[in-house]
Amino acid sequence: MMMLFDMIVYDLSAEYEAALIITLLCIIISFWAVMREREDLHRLILTELVEIMCLVIIALVATDLAEALILPGLVVGIAEFLALSELYIEKEGLRKAPENVLHIEVMDSAPGIIAVIFVIYGIILSGFTGGAVAGLGLLFYFMCRGSSEKREIIETVSGYAWACWVVAFIVFMAVPQYWFFGVIIAGAGIFAKVVAKMSLIGTMNGDGGEGDV
Amino acid sequence: MLVLGLGILFIGGFSSAFPQPKTYINRIINIEITSFGLLLVMLYYNETLALVTFIAVTVITTFVLVRVIERREAA
Repeated sequence: MMMLFDMIVYDLSAEYEAALIITLLCIIISFWAVMREREDLHRLILTELVEIMCLVIIALVATDLAEALILPGLVVGIAEFLALSELYIEKEGLRKAPENVLHIEVMDSAPGIIAVIFVIYGIILSGFTGGAVAGLGLLFYFMCRGSSEKREIIETVSGYAWACWVVAFIVFMAVPQYWFFGVIIAGAGIFAKVVAKMSLIGTMNGDGGEGDV
Repeated sequence: MLVLGLGILFIGGFSSAFPQPKTYINRIINIEITSFGLLLVMLYYNETLALVTFIAVTVITTFVLVRVIERREAA
């Protein structure tokens, strides 16, 4: 039994070492590419490559800890991309929207139904992932329909989500025996939060004149 | 599956680091290949939540990047 256990552990660590070496090689390649690149937009794209490579290193740890580290990493990554792309647009003075924005027939007929399906599926999933799915549906909707007047509602929802979160935290701290209630509230809160954030991205594509996000 | 994932990761990483016609779109498509490598690695280690979230986030990232490129090409 002990020998079997030893064997398994040894195999796992050998696998881990090999995978780690390959990944480090990939990271070196991508950083080298960033170093050699002179154009800003290419660098921005390569940043995503580097991000993926670094996520692989975390993913190789293969525990719940890895998962817990990847999730915030992804969120910070997307925020960073939004900020950097806005900066780039500001810097290059590309304020005016392109005339030939992608516009196909599906974008007129489908948004309502697809958004509803995504939101319902997201509510079933709940939590962070459900929020992401539901937000994707809303993002698609806003992207196709283009809306600027609904922004206040999104902000309100975001505020309520914070309130939910704080209430859940207080429940955890003050009355730990009601932990399940706290989990439900926190799940609903993060769901609303992620949905609100992602549908903000959807409104971004609208009329390029006023500041978006 | 891990070997396949790492292989795809390496190939995708190399081809997006040095794409042959060096255009923005080409590079983004190559990065999608790389992210499939990451997805396979996550699948191998049973990191469901990270996998699903990564798929969702990749979509937004691509959307943001394409939006920037669109403006860049229009200007």
